[in-house]
Amino acid sequence: MSDIKKTSLHDFHKSINAKMIDFAGWSMPFSYEGTLKEHNYVRESAGYFDVSHMGRLRLNYSQIEEINYLICSDLKNISNTKALYSIFTSEDGTAIDDVIFWKFEDDLILICNASNTNKIKTHLDINSINYEDLTMSTDLIAVQGKNAIELINTFMSIPDKFSTQKENHIIYARTGYTGEDGVEVMLDNKDTMDFINKLESNGIKACGLGSRDTLRLEASLPLYGFELTDEITPVEAGLKWTITNKDDYLGKEVIDEQIISRDHKHLKRFKLNAKQIARTGTICRSDGVEGIVTSGNISPILGYPIGYVLFQSNPSDDLVEFDIRGNLVEGNLLYKRFLS
Amino acid sequence: MSDTKYLETHEWYIISENTLTVGISDFAQGELGDIVFVTLPEVGQEFSKGDAIVEVEATKTVAEAYAPMDCVITEVNLNLETEPEFINNDPVGDGWMVKAEIKVMDDSGMSYQEYESFIS
Repeated sequence: MSDIKKTSLHDFHKSINAKMIDFAGWSMPFSYEGTLKEHNYVRESAGYFDVSHMGRLRLNYSQIEEINYLICSDLKNISNTKALYSIFTSEDGTAIDDVIFWKFEDDLILICNASNTNKIKTHLDINSINYEDLTMSTDLIAVQGKNAIELINTFMSIPDKFSTQKENHIIYARTGYTGEDGVEVMLDNKDTMDFINKLESNGIKACGLGSRDTLRLEASLPLYGFELTDEITPVEAGLKWTITNKDDYLGKEVIDEQIISRDHKHLKRFKLNAKQIARTGTICRSDGVEGIVTSGNISPILGYPIGYVLFQSNPSDDLVEFDIRGNLVEGNLLYKRFLS
Repeated sequence: MSDTKYLETHEWYIISENTLTVGISDFAQGELGDIVFVTLPEVGQEFSKGDAIVEVEATKTVAEAYAPMDCVITEVNLNLETEPEFINNDPVGDGWMVKAEIKVMDDSGMSYQEYESFIS
């Protein structure tokens, strides 16, 4: 049995009665007070998430050309204080991982999915890109919520949206994965508990990975391993907006071809006209085109089940029939985000 | 009325004369997390021991509750249709799921003490 990794906050999580789960080789808090409660903390006020399981690599600015060749977005030409969501693409145009870059004058911080940290490191090695792995020596805390910014600006300066900052040994960006405003903060292990105490004393509540998942789904954000895999391209996943790289990059030919032909898989949002949840793996049909649900859950804010479904080709009808454990349940494809 | 008994599949039941009341245990609701939807059976539906009688949708996963013995449903907890959170808040009280007429008596469930050591 391989050793399960723990974040520096592991004992703290247990001390506040977190329900722990194993996720991507890490023991992580699933919930503290309940997923729906934590979901609402973020939508109505503010919550914080320990997301230290995510990989954090420091890259050299001098290799920005080489890094830019591996992603579908233009990292090179954005300004030096920006944060960028992008996708590492393979030669076939499929997603190796979706990541965040924090760009600074002297270096870049790459944040990748915990399940893909080793894959990304190998990919960088193969492409002769140097990195310093900060995953174990630092923590990553996401502070998210409707009131997050006004609650934290008393003790830290706030960058513009999608911008980065370095201040008093902490590195952070105004980014997130919940659809709400907030920051994601990287700290040395020794500084993390102090930061958590500041959040707690400002009324910001601990939230687990359960609510992180319902929040990201409701905010129409993809999750690697579900909406994105190494068999799905950014075009197929409906992430064409990330394709801003004007130079040559790995997989560009396939991606450009897909943009023109539209002959590819299509990831769509759906809602169900019932209470049952169409979970990952549920088969459905729309106008003869078969699809498979990549993620599905209840939307706590909307009050009905929502999700993503991957179709083999573009269905012409927006009516879908889902086979939920033998019962046929009707749903509709949505062309707008779940939350406006 | 008998004591509350528990099954390895995490249901509880109480026998009162020939009537059975069934729900899921506090441990089970804790493992499932927030329950958002419950599919209840119809009154009059017959079940054999081990059949799935109720489907429980939670934010984390979906689970089924099984019949502790052969029975016919006589009443379902309609409150759960609008407030499934009763199961989270009071699993062995207001969160009861069905009442049923016992067809074949089988009171082989665990006592609370036995169930506690089973789950720990």
